[in-house]
Amino acid sequence: MPCSGSKRGGWPGSSGEGAVIGPRVATAVLRKDLLLDLRSKDRVGHMAVFAALIVVLLSISLPSSNPATRGWIPPLIWIVFLFTSLLGLGRSFQAESEEGAVALLVQVPCDRGWVFLGKAAANLLALLGVQLWTAILCTVFLDVAWAVALPEILLVGLLGAIGLAAVGTLLSAMANSARFREFLLPVLLFPLILPVLIFAARMTTEVLAGREIPLAWWGALGLYDWVFVLIGYFVFEYILED
Amino acid sequence: MSAIEISLLEKRFGRVRALDRVSATIPEGSITLLSGPNGAGKSTLLRVLACLTRPTRGTVRVLGVNPFSRDGVVHRGRLGYLGQEAALYGELTVQENLEFCANLYGVDPQRIRALIQDMELEPVARQRVRTLSLGYRRRVGLARARLTDPPLLLLDEPWNGLDAEASQRLTDLLQRHREAGRTALVAAHSPATTAGLFDAVLRLEAGRLAGLER
Repeated sequence: MPCSGSKRGGWPGSSGEGAVIGPRVATAVLRKDLLLDLRSKDRVGHMAVFAALIVVLLSISLPSSNPATRGWIPPLIWIVFLFTSLLGLGRSFQAESEEGAVALLVQVPCDRGWVFLGKAAANLLALLGVQLWTAILCTVFLDVAWAVALPEILLVGLLGAIGLAAVGTLLSAMANSARFREFLLPVLLFPLILPVLIFAARMTTEVLAGREIPLAWWGALGLYDWVFVLIGYFVFEYILED
Repeated sequence: MSAIEISLLEKRFGRVRALDRVSATIPEGSITLLSGPNGAGKSTLLRVLACLTRPTRGTVRVLGVNPFSRDGVVHRGRLGYLGQEAALYGELTVQENLEFCANLYGVDPQRIRALIQDMELEPVARQRVRTLSLGYRRRVGLARARLTDPPLLLLDEPWNGLDAEASQRLTDLLQRHREAGRTALVAAHSPATTAGLFDAVLRLEAGRLAGLER
């Protein structure tokens, strides 16, 4: 039986044993990553400082009284969020690179897609934290009134963060073993994340202007997230191996 | 029955052929030394058997299954692998590392306590791994590899960094492992405390099988 030719995959819970083991593995990976984040504080700390610096620079350089420049704020917020997230996503496999700990994740007794789900969930929580921090900074320094349509804003933020966490986790794992990983991650990430950036920025602009968002836009952002979570789940089986 | 069966196994990294048509069978309940000079392919062979890297060609059966097949997925937890790195998280304590692995593999937490005692890790159990000496890290790595009480141990230079006492304990541990009918494949250069330990020697040279003595 050829080793390299066997089919792999299977949606979570498709096999009896995997249905029990998979969620346990994803939860263990999530808890471990959160513990490492809380303990070292490097990743979250760097993202928080970076976001603060950029928002302060924007507040100095953008004339807040000019209505034309106010329209730029939603896309700029998403660009701040994207660059800040990049700092954290680039380090999401750092702990695995040290002492060969990636072997633990490769040897899990279930589809490795569950490792992806655990890692992506940990990244999502970190990104939501960054979003909250960026939103507070924008309120203070850029006078952004989120309360205009808070539920819609929260949903746009969540959908954008899910897309970024899914793509970022996948690419971060791919770039982890590469020689120029600091360079490779943004080069791979930016083209793939462009749909999220465009939709999320436009939806934020519409919501802050008090306009209704077309249903198709919500659907497009949700579909993007769903597709990349699925791709990540299935592709992760091969990405973690040498 | 064979614990490991490999046939015409080949692994390439680009143009480099790390393993070149290696065929061998390792019976259950034996301890086999994997020997050979630097760059012979010992670590690559162990990594293929531990499912860390896919072979380019050839067939592998570990504990009766192809570890890269769908059926082989649940068997990955039955392989106790210790590579040249201990596969631990430096910012977690010894206890937390073992708890994380126990969660991954569904191991009873009681087993962690037993292993910490067995490997004499009590003094460092609450210390972060990055603060430990190389010898202690290897011992924690070995405890981690034994967590699932695996029927097959794949060890890469396990005596590295161990003092004389710890080396002897590892040799005793491997003997107990064999007495329990379990199997081990151990890559090592010149293990000092291993007289009479190995049932067979599998020798690799430049990625090829240079001999299998029983």
